[in-house]
Amino acid sequence: MMPLGQQILLLLGKDLRIEARGRHTVGVVIILGILIMVVLGLGLGAGRPVDGFGASAILWVAYLFGGVLCFERTMAWERHDDALAGLLAAPISRSAIYASKLIANIALMFTLAVVVTPVAIALFRFDLSEAPGSFALVMGLGMVGFASIGTLFAAAVSSSRLQGGLLAMLVFPLCLPVVILSTQVMRHVFEQHESVMGSGLATLAAGDVIYLAASWIVFELVLEP
Amino acid sequence: MSSPPNRTASSGTSLLGSAFWALTALLFVAVVAMAIWYAPVEKSMGLPQKIFYAHLPVAINTFVAAFVVFVASIGYLWQRQTWWDDLACAAGKVTALFCAIVLLTGMTWARSAWGIWWTWSPRLTFSLALLLLYVVYPMVRSSIESPQRRAVVSAIYGVVAFLDVPLVYLSVKLMPDMHPSSITLEPPMKQTLMAWFVPVTMMLVGLILATYRLNVATRQRNELDQNDPNAQPADSSPPLTSGARMSGGAS
Repeated sequence: MMPLGQQILLLLGKDLRIEARGRHTVGVVIILGILIMVVLGLGLGAGRPVDGFGASAILWVAYLFGGVLCFERTMAWERHDDALAGLLAAPISRSAIYASKLIANIALMFTLAVVVTPVAIALFRFDLSEAPGSFALVMGLGMVGFASIGTLFAAAVSSSRLQGGLLAMLVFPLCLPVVILSTQVMRHVFEQHESVMGSGLATLAAGDVIYLAASWIVFELVLEP
Repeated sequence: MSSPPNRTASSGTSLLGSAFWALTALLFVAVVAMAIWYAPVEKSMGLPQKIFYAHLPVAINTFVAAFVVFVASIGYLWQRQTWWDDLACAAGKVTALFCAIVLLTGMTWARSAWGIWWTWSPRLTFSLALLLLYVVYPMVRSSIESPQRRAVVSAIYGVVAFLDVPLVYLSVKLMPDMHPSSITLEPPMKQTLMAWFVPVTMMLVGLILATYRLNVATRQRNELDQNDPNAQPADSSPPLTSGARMSGGAS
Protein backbone atom coordinates (compact mmCIF):
# COMPACT_ATOMS: atom_id res chain seq x y z
CA MET A 1 0.00 0.00 0.00
CA MET A 2 1.34 3.45 -0.91
CA PRO A 3 2.12 6.00 1.84
CA LEU A 4 -0.81 7.90 3.36
CA GLY A 5 0.38 11.27 2.04
CA GLN A 6 0.54 9.93 -1.50
CA GLN A 7 -2.96 8.45 -1.17
CA ILE A 8 -4.32 11.78 0.01
CA LEU A 9 -2.65 13.67 -2.86
CA LEU A 10 -3.96 11.14 -5.38
CA LEU A 11 -7.55 11.41 -4.16
CA LEU A 12 -7.37 15.18 -3.75
CA GLY A 13 -6.00 15.51 -7.30
CA LYS A 14 -8.93 13.43 -8.58
CA ASP A 15 -11.51 15.57 -6.74
CA LEU A 16 -9.97 18.87 -7.80
CA ARG A 17 -9.65 17.68 -11.42
CA ILE A 18 -13.35 16.79 -11.45
CA GLU A 19 -14.16 20.26 -10.11
CA ALA A 20 -11.74 22.01 -12.47
CA ARG A 21 -13.29 20.30 -15.50
CA GLY A 22 -16.90 21.07 -14.58
CA ARG A 23 -16.65 23.97 -12.11
CA HIS A 24 -20.17 23.02 -11.02
CA THR A 25 -19.66 23.36 -7.28
CA VAL A 26 -17.59 26.57 -7.26
CA GLY A 27 -20.01 28.30 -9.63
CA VAL A 28 -23.11 27.35 -7.66
CA VAL A 29 -21.56 28.13 -4.27
CA ILE A 30 -20.27 31.56 -5.32
CA ILE A 31 -23.61 32.56 -6.83
CA LEU A 32 -25.38 31.36 -3.68
CA GLY A 33 -22.95 33.36 -1.51
CA ILE A 34 -23.50 36.56 -3.51
CA LEU A 35 -27.28 36.06 -3.42
CA ILE A 36 -27.16 35.70 0.35
CA MET A 37 -25.12 38.91 0.59
CA VAL A 38 -27.66 40.79 -1.54
CA VAL A 39 -30.63 39.50 0.47
CA LEU A 40 -28.92 40.36 3.77
CA GLY A 41 -27.96 43.77 2.42
CA LEU A 42 -31.54 44.56 1.51
CA GLY A 43 -32.85 43.11 4.75
CA LEU A 44 -30.42 44.94 7.03
CA GLY A 45 -30.94 48.29 5.33
CA ALA A 46 -28.74 49.26 2.39
CA GLY A 47 -26.00 51.86 2.79
CA ARG A 48 -25.16 51.35 6.45
CA PRO A 49 -21.45 50.67 7.10
CA VAL A 50 -20.61 47.52 9.10
CA ASP A 51 -17.53 46.88 11.25
CA GLY A 52 -15.51 43.65 11.49
CA PHE A 53 -17.79 42.20 14.17
CA GLY A 54 -20.85 42.54 11.95
CA ALA A 55 -18.83 41.45 8.93
CA SER A 56 -17.96 38.08 10.45
CA ALA A 57 -21.62 37.45 11.34
CA ILE A 58 -22.84 38.35 7.84
CA LEU A 59 -20.12 36.35 6.12
CA TRP A 60 -20.78 33.32 8.30
CA VAL A 61 -24.31 33.08 6.87
CA ALA A 62 -22.84 32.79 3.37
CA TYR A 63 -20.08 30.42 4.46
CA LEU A 64 -22.45 28.11 6.32
CA PHE A 65 -24.91 27.68 3.47
CA GLY A 66 -22.17 27.61 0.82
CA GLY A 67 -20.20 25.14 2.92
CA VAL A 68 -23.07 22.68 3.22
CA LEU A 69 -23.43 22.76 -0.55
CA CYS A 70 -19.66 22.08 -0.94
CA PHE A 71 -19.78 19.11 1.45
CA GLU A 72 -22.75 17.63 -0.31
CA ARG A 73 -21.27 18.03 -3.80
CA THR A 74 -17.86 16.56 -2.97
CA MET A 75 -19.55 13.41 -1.66
CA ALA A 76 -21.98 13.40 -4.61
CA TRP A 77 -19.00 12.81 -6.93
CA GLU A 78 -18.52 9.44 -5.23
CA ARG A 79 -22.20 8.48 -5.46
CA HIS A 80 -22.29 8.74 -9.25
CA ASP A 81 -22.01 5.30 -10.84
CA ASP A 82 -21.35 3.85 -7.39
CA ALA A 83 -17.80 5.22 -7.41
CA LEU A 84 -17.69 5.00 -3.62
CA ALA A 85 -17.87 1.19 -3.76
CA GLY A 86 -14.84 1.19 -6.08
CA LEU A 87 -13.02 3.60 -3.80
CA LEU A 88 -13.70 1.42 -0.76
CA ALA A 89 -12.57 -1.70 -2.62
CA ALA A 90 -9.27 -0.04 -3.61
CA PRO A 91 -6.25 -0.41 -1.28
CA ILE A 92 -6.77 3.08 0.12
CA SER A 93 -7.01 4.04 3.78
CA ARG A 94 -10.32 5.51 4.99
CA SER A 95 -8.31 8.24 6.65
CA ALA A 96 -6.92 9.22 3.25
CA ILE A 97 -10.48 9.48 1.90
CA TYR A 98 -11.45 11.74 4.80
CA ALA A 99 -8.36 13.91 4.53
CA SER A 100 -8.73 14.35 0.76
CA LYS A 101 -12.41 15.25 1.03
CA LEU A 102 -11.67 17.65 3.88
CA ILE A 103 -8.90 19.44 1.96
CA ALA A 104 -11.13 19.62 -1.15
CA ASN A 105 -13.93 21.14 0.94
CA ILE A 106 -11.60 23.66 2.60
CA ALA A 107 -10.24 24.62 -0.84
CA LEU A 108 -13.77 25.15 -2.16
CA MET A 109 -14.77 27.17 0.91
CA PHE A 110 -11.65 29.34 0.65
CA THR A 111 -12.49 29.96 -3.03
CA LEU A 112 -15.98 31.00 -1.92
CA ALA A 113 -14.46 33.30 0.72
CA VAL A 114 -11.99 34.85 -1.77
CA VAL A 115 -14.89 35.90 -4.03
CA VAL A 116 -17.67 36.61 -1.54
CA THR A 117 -15.63 38.59 1.02
CA PRO A 118 -14.63 41.39 -1.41
CA VAL A 119 -18.24 41.50 -2.64
CA ALA A 120 -19.40 41.87 0.95
CA ILE A 121 -16.78 44.55 1.62
CA ALA A 122 -18.10 46.50 -1.37
CA LEU A 123 -21.78 46.03 -0.50
CA PHE A 124 -21.58 46.61 3.25
CA ARG A 125 -18.52 48.89 3.38
CA PHE A 126 -16.87 46.60 5.94
CA ASP A 127 -14.07 48.37 7.76
CA LEU A 128 -11.50 45.62 8.30
CA SER A 129 -8.50 47.98 8.14
CA GLU A 130 -7.91 47.74 11.89
CA ALA A 131 -7.03 44.04 11.85
CA PRO A 132 -7.33 42.37 8.42
CA GLY A 133 -4.89 39.59 9.37
CA SER A 134 -6.81 38.73 12.54
CA PHE A 135 -10.05 38.65 10.55
CA ALA A 136 -8.57 36.23 7.99
CA LEU A 137 -7.01 34.06 10.72
CA VAL A 138 -10.21 33.74 12.76
CA MET A 139 -12.46 33.10 9.77
CA GLY A 140 -9.93 30.60 8.37
CA LEU A 141 -9.80 28.65 11.64
CA GLY A 142 -13.59 28.71 11.83
CA MET A 143 -13.87 27.32 8.31
CA VAL A 144 -11.47 24.46 9.08
CA GLY A 145 -13.59 23.42 12.10
CA PHE A 146 -16.80 23.71 10.11
CA ALA A 147 -15.38 21.74 7.18
CA SER A 148 -14.07 18.94 9.42
CA ILE A 149 -17.54 18.26 10.87
CA GLY A 150 -19.28 18.88 7.54
CA THR A 151 -17.07 16.39 5.70
CA LEU A 152 -17.79 13.70 8.29
CA PHE A 153 -21.56 14.09 8.22
CA ALA A 154 -21.71 14.53 4.43
CA ALA A 155 -20.31 11.01 4.20
CA ALA A 156 -22.70 9.81 6.91
CA VAL A 157 -25.87 11.05 5.21
CA SER A 158 -24.75 10.56 1.60
CA SER A 159 -27.13 7.62 1.19
CA SER A 160 -30.06 9.33 2.89
CA ARG A 161 -33.02 10.61 0.91
CA LEU A 162 -32.92 14.01 2.63
CA GLN A 163 -29.20 14.77 2.14
CA GLY A 164 -29.01 18.57 1.85
CA GLY A 165 -31.62 19.45 4.45
CA LEU A 166 -30.50 16.72 6.81
CA LEU A 167 -26.84 17.70 6.45
CA ALA A 168 -27.59 21.33 7.33
CA MET A 169 -29.68 20.20 10.31
CA LEU A 170 -26.82 18.01 11.56
CA VAL A 171 -23.93 20.38 10.96
CA PHE A 172 -25.35 23.77 11.97
CA PRO A 173 -25.96 22.99 15.67
CA LEU A 174 -22.62 21.22 15.98
CA CYS A 175 -20.83 24.23 14.50
CA LEU A 176 -22.45 26.78 16.80
CA PRO A 177 -19.29 27.08 18.97
CA VAL A 178 -17.25 27.90 15.87
CA VAL A 179 -19.66 30.66 14.84
CA ILE A 180 -20.01 32.03 18.38
CA LEU A 181 -16.25 31.97 18.96
CA SER A 182 -15.32 33.67 15.70
CA THR A 183 -17.95 36.41 16.07
CA GLN A 184 -17.02 37.00 19.72
CA VAL A 185 -13.28 37.12 18.97
CA MET A 186 -14.07 39.66 16.25
CA ARG A 187 -16.10 41.66 18.76
CA HIS A 188 -13.12 41.74 21.12
CA VAL A 189 -10.79 42.79 18.29
CA PHE A 190 -12.95 45.38 16.50
CA GLU A 191 -15.12 46.79 19.31
CA GLN A 192 -12.87 46.50 22.34
CA HIS A 193 -9.60 46.81 20.38
CA GLU A 194 -8.01 43.80 22.07
CA SER A 195 -5.33 41.52 20.64
CA VAL A 196 -6.59 38.51 18.69
CA MET A 197 -4.13 36.25 20.53
CA GLY A 198 -6.51 35.92 23.50
CA SER A 199 -8.31 32.93 24.95
CA GLY A 200 -10.97 33.01 22.25
CA LEU A 201 -8.51 32.18 19.50
CA ALA A 202 -6.96 29.39 21.57
CA THR A 203 -10.44 27.90 22.17
CA LEU A 204 -11.23 28.14 18.46
CA ALA A 205 -7.99 26.32 17.62
CA ALA A 206 -8.73 23.71 20.31
CA GLY A 207 -12.20 23.25 18.82
CA ASP A 208 -10.64 22.61 15.40
CA VAL A 209 -8.34 19.99 16.91
CA ILE A 210 -11.27 18.25 18.68
CA TYR A 211 -13.43 18.28 15.54
CA LEU A 212 -10.58 17.01 13.36
CA ALA A 213 -9.56 14.25 15.78
CA ALA A 214 -13.14 13.06 16.41
CA SER A 215 -14.00 13.11 12.70
CA TRP A 216 -10.78 11.34 11.75
CA ILE A 217 -11.45 8.57 14.29
CA VAL A 218 -15.10 7.89 13.39
CA PHE A 219 -14.94 8.46 9.63
CA GLU A 220 -14.17 4.80 9.02
CA LEU A 221 -17.49 3.87 10.67
CA VAL A 222 -19.64 6.15 8.50
CA LEU A 223 -18.31 4.59 5.31
CA GLU A 224 -19.48 1.13 6.27
CA PRO A 225 -22.22 -0.16 3.97
CA MET B 1 -49.06 -15.64 24.13
CA SER B 2 -47.43 -14.82 27.49
CA SER B 3 -46.70 -17.67 29.84
CA PRO B 4 -47.93 -17.37 33.47
CA PRO B 5 -44.42 -16.54 34.91
CA ASN B 6 -44.08 -13.78 32.27
CA ARG B 7 -47.43 -12.36 33.22
CA THR B 8 -46.41 -12.34 36.89
CA ALA B 9 -43.11 -10.65 36.06
CA SER B 10 -44.79 -8.01 33.88
CA SER B 11 -47.43 -7.17 36.50
CA GLY B 12 -44.63 -6.95 39.10
CA THR B 13 -42.63 -4.55 36.91
CA SER B 14 -45.75 -2.51 36.21
CA LEU B 15 -46.48 -2.26 39.92
CA LEU B 16 -42.90 -1.25 40.60
CA GLY B 17 -43.17 1.42 37.89
CA SER B 18 -46.40 2.79 39.35
CA ALA B 19 -44.85 2.89 42.82
CA PHE B 20 -41.79 4.65 41.42
CA TRP B 21 -43.84 7.37 39.70
CA ALA B 22 -46.09 7.78 42.73
CA LEU B 23 -43.04 8.28 44.96
CA THR B 24 -41.54 10.75 42.46
CA ALA B 25 -44.79 12.75 42.38
CA LEU B 26 -44.96 12.74 46.18
CA LEU B 27 -41.39 13.98 46.43
CA PHE B 28 -42.16 16.74 43.93
CA VAL B 29 -45.04 17.90 46.09
CA ALA B 30 -42.72 17.88 49.11
CA VAL B 31 -39.92 19.88 47.46
CA VAL B 32 -42.38 22.41 46.01
CA ALA B 33 -43.73 22.89 49.53
CA MET B 34 -40.15 23.30 50.80
CA ALA B 35 -39.42 25.93 48.16
CA ILE B 36 -42.59 27.88 49.03
CA TRP B 37 -42.70 27.68 52.82
CA TYR B 38 -39.36 26.43 54.15
CA ALA B 39 -36.82 28.35 52.03
CA PRO B 40 -36.79 32.10 52.79
CA VAL B 41 -37.27 34.72 50.10
CA GLU B 42 -33.89 35.92 48.78
CA LYS B 43 -33.38 39.64 49.53
CA SER B 44 -31.96 41.01 46.28
CA MET B 45 -33.96 38.91 43.76
CA GLY B 46 -37.15 38.22 45.64
CA LEU B 47 -39.57 35.45 44.67
CA PRO B 48 -38.08 34.75 41.18
CA GLN B 49 -35.03 33.29 42.94
CA LYS B 50 -37.19 30.25 43.83
CA ILE B 51 -37.06 29.18 40.16
CA PHE B 52 -33.42 28.41 40.86
CA TYR B 53 -34.38 25.34 42.98
CA ALA B 54 -35.87 23.65 39.90
CA HIS B 55 -33.52 25.24 37.36
CA LEU B 56 -30.16 24.01 38.70
CA PRO B 57 -31.10 20.32 39.33
CA VAL B 58 -32.71 20.08 35.88
CA ALA B 59 -29.62 21.69 34.32
CA ILE B 60 -27.27 19.25 36.04
CA ASN B 61 -29.47 16.31 35.07
CA THR B 62 -29.46 17.54 31.46
CA PHE B 63 -25.71 16.93 31.43
CA VAL B 64 -26.27 13.49 32.97
CA ALA B 65 -28.75 12.64 30.20
CA ALA B 66 -26.36 13.95 27.54
CA PHE B 67 -23.63 11.80 29.09
CA VAL B 68 -25.91 8.74 28.84
CA VAL B 69 -26.38 9.53 25.11
CA PHE B 70 -22.59 9.75 24.78
CA VAL B 71 -21.89 6.46 26.59
CA ALA B 72 -24.70 4.61 24.79
CA SER B 73 -23.48 5.96 21.43
CA ILE B 74 -19.95 4.75 22.10
CA GLY B 75 -21.43 1.44 23.29
CA TYR B 76 -23.31 1.05 20.02
CA LEU B 77 -20.30 1.94 17.86
CA TRP B 78 -18.21 -0.52 19.83
CA GLN B 79 -20.58 -3.49 20.20
CA ARG B 80 -23.24 -2.87 17.53
CA GLN B 81 -26.02 -4.08 19.80
CA THR B 82 -29.36 -2.43 19.16
CA TRP B 83 -30.22 -1.91 22.82
CA TRP B 84 -27.42 0.66 23.04
CA ASP B 85 -29.09 2.54 20.20
CA ASP B 86 -32.49 2.32 21.93
CA LEU B 87 -30.93 3.67 25.13
CA ALA B 88 -29.16 6.53 23.30
CA CYS B 89 -32.42 7.42 21.54
CA ALA B 90 -34.32 7.45 24.86
CA ALA B 91 -31.67 9.55 26.61
CA GLY B 92 -31.50 11.93 23.62
CA LYS B 93 -35.23 12.67 23.82
CA VAL B 94 -35.01 13.22 27.58
CA THR B 95 -31.99 15.51 27.13
CA ALA B 96 -33.98 17.66 24.70
CA LEU B 97 -36.93 17.79 27.14
CA PHE B 98 -34.72 18.75 30.08
CA CYS B 99 -32.90 21.35 27.96
CA ALA B 100 -36.27 22.88 27.12
CA ILE B 101 -37.16 23.02 30.83
CA VAL B 102 -33.80 24.65 31.65
CA LEU B 103 -34.34 27.22 28.91
CA LEU B 104 -37.92 27.96 29.96
CA THR B 105 -37.02 28.37 33.64
CA GLY B 106 -34.03 30.52 32.62
CA MET B 107 -36.24 32.72 30.45
CA THR B 108 -38.82 33.03 33.23
CA TRP B 109 -36.03 34.13 35.57
CA ALA B 110 -34.81 36.66 32.98
CA ARG B 111 -38.33 38.05 32.61
CA SER B 112 -38.77 38.37 36.37
CA ALA B 113 -35.30 39.70 37.14
CA TRP B 114 -34.60 41.95 34.14
CA GLY B 115 -38.03 42.48 32.54
CA ILE B 116 -37.06 40.74 29.28
CA TRP B 117 -37.72 37.21 28.07
CA TRP B 118 -34.44 36.89 26.23
CA THR B 119 -30.95 38.30 26.35
CA TRP B 120 -27.83 36.93 24.66
CA SER B 121 -26.23 36.23 28.01
CA PRO B 122 -23.77 33.31 28.09
CA ARG B 123 -25.95 31.04 30.18
CA LEU B 124 -29.15 31.52 28.21
CA THR B 125 -27.23 31.17 24.95
CA PHE B 126 -25.58 28.01 26.26
CA SER B 127 -28.99 26.52 27.11
CA LEU B 128 -30.32 27.43 23.67
CA ALA B 129 -27.30 25.90 21.91
CA LEU B 130 -27.66 22.74 23.99
CA LEU B 131 -31.36 22.54 23.16
CA LEU B 132 -30.63 22.90 19.44
CA LEU B 133 -27.95 20.20 19.62
CA TYR B 134 -30.30 17.66 21.19
CA VAL B 135 -33.58 18.66 19.53
CA VAL B 136 -31.92 17.76 16.23
CA TYR B 137 -31.03 14.27 17.51
CA PRO B 138 -34.50 12.64 17.26
CA MET B 139 -35.20 14.54 14.02
CA VAL B 140 -32.07 13.07 12.45
CA ARG B 141 -33.16 9.62 13.51
CA SER B 142 -36.54 9.93 11.86
CA SER B 143 -34.93 11.18 8.63
CA ILE B 144 -32.90 8.02 7.98
CA GLU B 145 -34.82 4.95 6.84
CA SER B 146 -32.26 2.17 7.22
CA PRO B 147 -32.16 1.09 10.91
CA GLN B 148 -28.45 0.26 10.80
CA ARG B 149 -27.53 3.50 9.06
CA ARG B 150 -29.77 5.45 11.44
CA ALA B 151 -28.09 3.87 14.45
CA VAL B 152 -24.56 4.59 13.16
CA VAL B 153 -25.25 8.22 12.17
CA SER B 154 -27.11 8.86 15.44
CA ALA B 155 -24.30 7.32 17.48
CA ILE B 156 -21.70 9.48 15.74
CA TYR B 157 -23.89 12.54 16.27
CA GLY B 158 -24.34 11.62 19.95
CA VAL B 159 -20.57 11.40 20.44
CA VAL B 160 -19.74 14.64 18.57
CA ALA B 161 -22.61 16.55 20.23
CA PHE B 162 -21.32 15.64 23.69
CA LEU B 163 -17.78 16.68 22.73
CA ASP B 164 -19.34 19.94 21.51
CA VAL B 165 -20.84 20.80 24.92
CA PRO B 166 -17.60 22.07 26.59
CA LEU B 167 -16.82 24.05 23.43
CA VAL B 168 -20.23 25.71 23.51
CA TYR B 169 -19.66 26.52 27.18
CA LEU B 170 -16.24 28.06 26.52
CA SER B 171 -17.51 29.98 23.51
CA VAL B 172 -20.47 31.60 25.27
CA LYS B 173 -18.19 32.69 28.14
CA LEU B 174 -16.80 35.29 25.73
CA MET B 175 -20.21 36.94 25.49
CA PRO B 176 -21.09 39.90 27.72
CA ASP B 177 -22.89 38.71 30.86
CA MET B 178 -25.57 40.30 33.06
CA HIS B 179 -26.12 37.22 35.24
CA PRO B 180 -25.19 37.38 38.93
CA SER B 181 -21.80 35.67 39.23
CA SER B 182 -22.72 33.94 42.50
CA ILE B 183 -25.67 33.64 44.85
CA THR B 184 -25.25 33.36 48.60
CA LEU B 185 -27.58 30.68 49.92
CA GLU B 186 -28.72 30.41 53.51
CA PRO B 187 -28.82 26.86 55.02
CA PRO B 188 -32.59 26.35 54.40
CA MET B 189 -32.05 27.42 50.78
CA LYS B 190 -29.18 24.95 50.38
CA GLN B 191 -31.26 22.14 51.91
CA THR B 192 -34.16 22.94 49.58
CA LEU B 193 -31.84 22.93 46.58
CA MET B 194 -30.32 19.59 47.59
CA ALA B 195 -33.82 18.15 48.15
CA TRP B 196 -34.86 19.16 44.61
CA PHE B 197 -32.11 16.99 43.15
CA VAL B 198 -33.82 13.80 44.38
CA PRO B 199 -37.18 13.93 42.49
CA VAL B 200 -35.59 15.55 39.43
CA THR B 201 -33.00 12.76 39.19
CA MET B 202 -35.74 10.17 39.74
CA MET B 203 -37.74 11.77 36.94
CA LEU B 204 -34.70 11.59 34.66
CA VAL B 205 -34.13 7.90 35.38
CA GLY B 206 -37.84 7.10 35.05
CA LEU B 207 -38.25 8.94 31.77
CA ILE B 208 -35.15 7.36 30.23
CA LEU B 209 -36.28 3.87 31.28
CA ALA B 210 -39.87 4.40 30.12
CA THR B 211 -38.75 5.81 26.74
CA TYR B 212 -36.19 3.02 26.38
CA ARG B 213 -38.83 0.36 26.93
CA LEU B 214 -41.14 2.07 24.49
CA ASN B 215 -38.33 2.18 21.89
CA VAL B 216 -37.61 -1.52 22.36
CA ALA B 217 -41.30 -2.39 22.06
CA THR B 218 -41.69 -0.26 18.91
CA ARG B 219 -38.62 -1.81 17.30
CA GLN B 220 -39.76 -5.34 18.15
CA ARG B 221 -43.20 -4.62 16.69
CA ASN B 222 -41.63 -3.21 13.51
CA GLU B 223 -39.41 -6.26 13.18
CA LEU B 224 -42.39 -8.53 13.63
CA ASP B 225 -44.33 -6.57 11.00
CA GLN B 226 -41.50 -6.90 8.51
CA ASN B 227 -40.70 -10.57 9.13
CA ASP B 228 -42.75 -13.71 9.28
CA PRO B 229 -45.51 -13.20 11.88
CA ASN B 230 -44.57 -16.54 13.49
CA ALA B 231 -40.85 -15.69 13.73
CA GLN B 232 -39.27 -14.50 16.97
CA PRO B 233 -37.66 -11.03 16.70
CA ALA B 234 -33.88 -11.19 16.29
CA ASP B 235 -32.94 -8.91 19.11
CA SER B 236 -29.94 -8.49 21.31
CA SER B 237 -31.73 -6.31 23.83
CA PRO B 238 -33.01 -7.50 27.19
CA PRO B 239 -36.36 -9.32 26.90
CA LEU B 240 -39.49 -7.18 27.12
CA THR B 241 -42.86 -8.56 28.02
CA SER B 242 -46.02 -6.96 26.76
CA GLY B 243 -46.95 -5.37 30.05
CA ALA B 244 -43.44 -4.70 31.31
CA ARG B 245 -43.23 -0.99 30.87
CA MET B 246 -43.12 1.87 33.28
CA SER B 247 -46.56 3.20 33.83
CA GLY B 248 -47.47 6.57 32.38
CA GLY B 249 -46.19 6.16 28.80
CA ALA B 250 -43.70 8.88 29.42
CA SER B 251 -42.21 9.18 25.96
